[in-house]
Amino acid sequence: MEARLPAFVRHLSPAFAGLPLGPALTRSLRALARRRPGLFDRLGEFAAERFFIDPVDLGFAFVVVPDGARATVRATGKDAGGDCSVVIRGPILTLLALLDGTQDGDALFFNRVISISGRTEAVLALRNAIEDAELTPADLIGLSGALGRLADAGILGGLDMARRFAAAASAPEMAERRS
Amino acid sequence: MTGSKRMELVCPAGTPSTLRAAVEAGADAVYCGFRDETNARNFPGLNFSAQELAEGVRFAHDRGTKVLVAINTFARVGDVDIWRNAADTAVKCGADAIIAGDIAVLDHVARNHKDDIRLHLSVQAAAATPEAIRFYAQTFGVRRVVIPRVLSVPEITALNKNIDVETEAFVFGGLCVMVEGRCYLSSYATGKSPNLNGVCSPPEAVTYDEDKAGMAARLSGFTIDRYAPGEPTGYPTLCKGRFNAGGKTSYLFEEPVSLNAGSLIEGLKKAGVTALKIEGRQRGKGYVSEVVRAFRRAVDAVEEGGDAVEIDRILAGQSEGGRQTAGAYRKVWR
Repeated sequence: MEARLPAFVRHLSPAFAGLPLGPALTRSLRALARRRPGLFDRLGEFAAERFFIDPVDLGFAFVVVPDGARATVRATGKDAGGDCSVVIRGPILTLLALLDGTQDGDALFFNRVISISGRTEAVLALRNAIEDAELTPADLIGLSGALGRLADAGILGGLDMARRFAAAASAPEMAERRS
Repeated sequence: MTGSKRMELVCPAGTPSTLRAAVEAGADAVYCGFRDETNARNFPGLNFSAQELAEGVRFAHDRGTKVLVAINTFARVGDVDIWRNAADTAVKCGADAIIAGDIAVLDHVARNHKDDIRLHLSVQAAAATPEAIRFYAQTFGVRRVVIPRVLSVPEITALNKNIDVETEAFVFGGLCVMVEGRCYLSSYATGKSPNLNGVCSPPEAVTYDEDKAGMAARLSGFTIDRYAPGEPTGYPTLCKGRFNAGGKTSYLFEEPVSLNAGSLIEGLKKAGVTALKIEGRQRGKGYVSEVVRAFRRAVDAVEEGGDAVEIDRILAGQSEGGRQTAGAYRKVWR
């Protein structure tokens, strides 16, 4: 369940924070809101909250405001969560598994694979909105039809392979932590 | 009421996607609620708009599954129209039954929608005697009673022999240890109650605080439990908290266990129970799919004369992880 990226990826990853990851994800989220506005309705008053999403095995984090057509995503440093109302931490592949519905958020939290602090009601709203959205990678990148199905198969297959690889690579580290 | 019909499997749905998952996993009926205080699972991001309910009903009916709408909190003085409107909307959406506990809601449905929709008596009404159930049946035309989780199987057998309405029994999921509908613990700590606001331990009162010693789960500042680093945590409900009292630390009210009466399905059928209910509208669709699928197979096996060993084998996967109990059905509680 808890697959972390290998250490060398973690060491390399800070360089990516400077890339236009935030603007690209912002565009993607706003496009999703235009295609499926109902998805964001479920967040209600919590759509305007600032969620600090910290992939613990990457060198940077994200500040996400999932406010439909006004949504923003900013790639940021690890210490930028101070003014966010919710902080969610976990391995990146696990956080992605929450998005695509591969793993159950409750089970991950109660088993301490991910950690959450801040406004519990906002986290719950986000969890229920994501749960109902049944998002696919194609939804996030704005593809549909045969191209969308191809993207889903490719990306989900790639993520599955990455999880297996990361689980195998991080097994000794996890065993050491448990001992 | 006793009978020989096949038992109905009634399954939870907190969102449209979970409704679809429950239907596809084999539910005979799905129960859900509106996105407001009229139902007892009023959590952020959960539940249905009127449009979502109408679409959900169409999806379910196309596949032969019924939809029951829980309007099962107690109406507030001066605001009863919120509950009446919810009932009217459920009827307009084509739902098969309304699950209600408040006399004002039951009365509204009985007077205005008698021929449009069935009335089921919510567990919140805590009707556990033939006299109470007869009152609801005769006065409001209630067709089914969700029986409180305080009765043993022999008591349910005796009850069914003395009433003319269907009974529905919880078989799996969260277990409330209080007399149904009469819990004051959440109200005391948070100012909100399951019966009036639809939330036990409302999430806005919940915090998880982590330090080097581990994690503390708190409700309105009251520490409900502490967990060592790496130890699995839980959602802080007062009745399942770990407290210091009398010089020792223990679960004062109830161990944090879930109900699993899978092994009693055959006994409940013999007791005359019409429907088996799975709790968990707040749970994700992965969980709902898995539990519904397992109970579908178990109920079918019982209906086809399967023995207890076979039923246990089918439900074995559901007992992994958290601790479970047969609750009051087998009275061995503290």
